[in-house]
Amino acid sequence: MAPSRTASIAFFALCAGLRTAAGQEATLPAAFELERRGNYEAAAEVYRELLGRKPGDVSALLGLERVLLPLNRSTEILPVVRAGLAANPSAGALYGVALRGWAAADQPDSMRAIAERWARIQPGDEAPYREWGAAALAGRHREAAIAAYRLGRERLGRPDVLAGEVAQLAVADGDYATAAREWVPAVRRLPGYRITAVATLSHAPASKRPEILRVLAAEPDFVARRLESELRARWGDPLGGLRALEAGLPQAGDKAVEALRGLVEQLRMHRTPDALLARGRALEAIAARLPAVQASRTRLEAAQAYSAAGDREAARRMLSGLADDRATPGAVASGAAGALLTVLIGEGKLSEASRRLAELRPQLGGEEHAELTRSLVAAYIRAGELDRADSALAGDSTIEGFALAGRIKLYRGDLKGALESFKQAGPYAGDRADATRRTVLLALLQPISADSLPALGAALLQLEQGDTARAVAGLQVVAEALPPSAGGAEVRLLAGRLSQVRGDHDLAERLYREASSREARATAPAAELALAELLLDRGRGAEARALLEHLILTYPESALIPQARRTLDRARGAVPQT
Amino acid sequence: MRRREFVVRACAGLAALAPGVPRLPVSGRAAAWLLVPMDDAQSDHLKAYGLAFRLLERGGKAEWFLNYRGGAFLLPADGATSRDAALAGVTAEPMDDARVTEARGEIRNGNMDAVPLEKAPKVAVYAPPNAAPWDDAVTMALNYAGIRFEKIWDPEVVQGGLRSYDWLHLHHEDFTGQYSKFFLNYAGAPWLNEMVEQNRSMARSLGFPSVPAEKRAVAQAIGQYVERGGFLFAMCTATETLDLALAADGVDIAASYADGSPMDRNATAAMKWDRSLAFQGARLELSPTMPVYSDIDGHQVNSPDRRQPLGAFTLFNFSAKIDPVATMLVQNHRQAIPDFYGLTTSFTRRRLKPSVTVLAEETGAPWVKYIHGERGQGTWTFLGGHDPEDPQHQIGDAPTDLSLHPHSPGYRLILNNVLFPAAKKKELKT
Repeated sequence: MAPSRTASIAFFALCAGLRTAAGQEATLPAAFELERRGNYEAAAEVYRELLGRKPGDVSALLGLERVLLPLNRSTEILPVVRAGLAANPSAGALYGVALRGWAAADQPDSMRAIAERWARIQPGDEAPYREWGAAALAGRHREAAIAAYRLGRERLGRPDVLAGEVAQLAVADGDYATAAREWVPAVRRLPGYRITAVATLSHAPASKRPEILRVLAAEPDFVARRLESELRARWGDPLGGLRALEAGLPQAGDKAVEALRGLVEQLRMHRTPDALLARGRALEAIAARLPAVQASRTRLEAAQAYSAAGDREAARRMLSGLADDRATPGAVASGAAGALLTVLIGEGKLSEASRRLAELRPQLGGEEHAELTRSLVAAYIRAGELDRADSALAGDSTIEGFALAGRIKLYRGDLKGALESFKQAGPYAGDRADATRRTVLLALLQPISADSLPALGAALLQLEQGDTARAVAGLQVVAEALPPSAGGAEVRLLAGRLSQVRGDHDLAERLYREASSREARATAPAAELALAELLLDRGRGAEARALLEHLILTYPESALIPQARRTLDRARGAVPQT
Repeated sequence: MRRREFVVRACAGLAALAPGVPRLPVSGRAAAWLLVPMDDAQSDHLKAYGLAFRLLERGGKAEWFLNYRGGAFLLPADGATSRDAALAGVTAEPMDDARVTEARGEIRNGNMDAVPLEKAPKVAVYAPPNAAPWDDAVTMALNYAGIRFEKIWDPEVVQGGLRSYDWLHLHHEDFTGQYSKFFLNYAGAPWLNEMVEQNRSMARSLGFPSVPAEKRAVAQAIGQYVERGGFLFAMCTATETLDLALAADGVDIAASYADGSPMDRNATAAMKWDRSLAFQGARLELSPTMPVYSDIDGHQVNSPDRRQPLGAFTLFNFSAKIDPVATMLVQNHRQAIPDFYGLTTSFTRRRLKPSVTVLAEETGAPWVKYIHGERGQGTWTFLGGHDPEDPQHQIGDAPTDLSLHPHSPGYRLILNNVLFPAAKKKELKT
């Protein structure tokens, strides 16, 4: 045979030898592809081929380990990994595979032997003990895992060795104090652990939290203060969280700002007054550490947070100078002006707000000025200063302007004018709650034939001003004078709802019953439904069910029937309480 | 009502079905009947079953028009039924005798049938005393539809209490006694601790050495209930574990945490499949940490490497006149229904016994969804999955509010099963 021909035959034989029974060429990419397709059997075959040629190939060995797992044949890795270790005894990854293989075979002695061997070739490294512990945990051998971690810590002679692992085990055991003690050194060594530490500790039941806080308080450094701060914020004590953070803020400005910003971010979604106040204070502390130009924006944010928290004094302190300072960037100055006006309106200083609005006119954009004007008008309305509200609103022909004009007319008792303005405003003025409120008012006014009814306007203004008791009394007086079908029932229904909100359930029940007049067929279903819900809340289920059945059978065409049926289902226990 | 009774009474039923013989009291007045359509005209499919059920409870008679307008019900237009329909929000169309006759003509000429419904079955739901009422699809469906039922658990079953009931429902109970194999993965969870303690103390009080032994006795009592003519409907993991428990007579298939001894490594080979209802030849999962029992389930939802994605299953179209039982069980206004996971989601086709009737399958998939069969004088029906309207159901999920799903085709399958024992049936011919 000619040498060239011999070589070709040998080459083809080699190629044939490199193809698997599945017809795949035995290469790592081919194995990955088979694995990706979920053909684990074939992938395992290719990985074995590769390892047959190169027993210490870490990628192939890890691949074989991966595909044997879903095949429930993890222990088959053992002879292969043994050969791999013989070929490549210094590859740490191979020891990890071996540990997991022995764990799958439930052979703790072999696990220990492999871990010891690994530790001998990598002295000073945590990895052998970490992987040993993890493999033991995968086999549900918790005690073995703890022993592995302890041994690692003892041999390496440092208290922070494997602290993260020990902390997570402690959390799983519900031993939160130990977990807190371990997390502190773990985070000191690897700051990225902080998020996991906070996430795991934050799940502690309320009874365990004081102990965790005591453990953290005993630690002197900023790592512990920051953990304490974030945990307090998560557990509903944002001001306590801020205090803890402030107690340990480092001198270095950037680290302090980073920590404060972390707290601000954490509180972003919280809308309680304490959370808003804590946010405002944290932002103020950040602003104090920033250069002037950057600080102005942060002070504005702080002012907004203070304002939302109801601390107008602090808001005003943050805003002072911002709105008028020519050095302040335009957008910030404009935002500050708006915030300042909001604060003034909130404080009821409407004259001062009006004066400031006039002064700031040149700095504000047209739309912004109009919005602030409308805020002022709304405040005048709430204060009952309807003439000043009317005057401030003059010329506003936007749909929001019509909506406000409708309210002014309504509170003056001009029902016809109010109806017209509300119709002009349509459903788009303000937010959805505003639109719903106008629709409710329209429903209230439409059955009333009188064009003017000052007593009704006065009662509704009292409601706007938050004096529900007087509003209810006023509405009852108005209702007495109106026939049920001409608004009397509707006004009683509103008075009933208000009484229920005030907790005067007896009065609410009486008003609902009076509103359930058959003469007012448009109002009666709503009144009966409201009454049924009230009775249900008061534990009078049988009466509620009877009433709901009456409603469904008497007013089958009412739009409220689906809701009545759902309430009936709830009363019968047929659907979950939501 | 027991199956033997049905067969005995079938002749009477068939006679009653003869044309021209009125099966319900008919008056000469217009609108003597209410037709409850079960096609898309129905405003609340689920409550329609409750309407029919309550009529039967009051001693009334009804008819189930199989394959006619989605499986409509014909009810007498008496005051109580009309009132009940109005309160429940169930669409009911008044019909006079002429229109009823017309409908019957249509039924005679098509793949349809009219089955009399005679007696409200006495319904039992097997559930532990502390079971959340909203964690069992059947309990939810019964509550929503307004169908009366009683809850029973191990003491009642072991002491022969099943005799009092016509229909028994099982949901996600683990009859292998391994706490749904959550014991290791959810160790320490309060709900698991409670479940374990409750089951252990029940096993002790009933004189069994372990929970698996007690659950096996419960499974055997349920098997005997079917033998004697009971109607069994099971969902989710109750299907698979009931059969495993029945077939594991004398074989240890429970992990050591459940009974103190490890699972028999040769359990797969030692199973006695002649004892089971639906499955045979299954390979058991040996790992105590894997919340999977065997390869009966096609979807293996709790095994990340084996989990199969959800598709949709299709109901078979049976011959209503020849095979009314299967036809009743698949009455629906939808033929294809989105699938939903459970601890046992589906049933691997190759593990079904040859006698099993497949009611619904996923086309082209190696699993089926909904199966039915007979044992002795009774019948069993298995539906895979946990909650038809919560396809990815997780522990701790918010309960399903069926008022938001009044047309649920998946829940209809459950309710078909509840009314099925009320039917006076012709004998199954296929």
